[in-house]
Amino acid sequence: MRDSDALDNNPHVSLSALEAIHGQVYGWALSRCDFDHAVAEDLMQQAYVEVLSGSARFDNKSSLKTFVFAVVHNLAKSRFRRIASRLRLLREHATGLEEPIALPAEPDDSGDIWPAVKALPARQRDIIELVFCRDLTIEEASRVMGVSVGTGRVHYDRAKKTLRSRLLNTLSDDK
Amino acid sequence: MNEQDDNFNTEIRRAWPENDNSRVPSFAVTWRAAEERYARSRRRYGMLAGAAAVVAIAIVGLQLQTSPTADVNYIEVDELMGSTSWTAPSDVLLPRHEFDIYQELPSVIESTETAGGSLL
Repeated sequence: MRDSDALDNNPHVSLSALEAIHGQVYGWALSRCDFDHAVAEDLMQQAYVEVLSGSARFDNKSSLKTFVFAVVHNLAKSRFRRIASRLRLLREHATGLEEPIALPAEPDDSGDIWPAVKALPARQRDIIELVFCRDLTIEEASRVMGVSVGTGRVHYDRAKKTLRSRLLNTLSDDK
Repeated sequence: MNEQDDNFNTEIRRAWPENDNSRVPSFAVTWRAAEERYARSRRRYGMLAGAAAVVAIAIVGLQLQTSPTADVNYIEVDELMGSTSWTAPSDVLLPRHEFDIYQELPSVIESTETAGGSLL
């Protein structure tokens, strides 16, 4: 059945359904670009253009939320790759320049859980965010990340173990 | 998820940096911007396609204009007949052209003498 506000190029997507998940998708987009609001907004617009044009076609095989999250994830990845290749070119042709890539900061010992999460490998951090903060199941999160459910489970378990050990270490250091 | 997961869940949710929902841009604004972007890209593609079509038509037109047209020349039969003649290559051997070699036939003397029953 087609909703009254369904999109022409994506008949299974309705505006109201997109609006309902907009906030969560924005949060996901934000974490894809190191919490830069301007980039996240641009990413959101790009994702909506993909949905609007039908380049990214939703076929009801998953939830709409999973689908839009995956679109944002893929766009962010290709954006990152584009920037990385430009930086590589820049580094090759402008040898006098300083190292342009800012490495992620190491977690501090403040006892806060966020630095420990931030220090996780990208895929582990992603699955933790998707499951804990975006209310997806491991299966859905794996689909968003484009990995098999088995791989998703492995990332999830490893992330939990790493977080647990880091937090325990921090607590024992505090004592 | 077990109880430990729930604790993690709560902790991580609390610690996640973007819990401030007030900074989420409105859906209507984002959607309108996306629609404008889509329309712009379609216009750009349309213009590109139009320009490509114009260039293609110009190239074809130029080629048609500059290609040599084949002039058809028909052969005039009278002209052809007037321009051709044939002489036998052996005519030059004759004392005069078109002189009949058999005009004067040599006379053959009839033999009346026989030898051994046959005419000599």
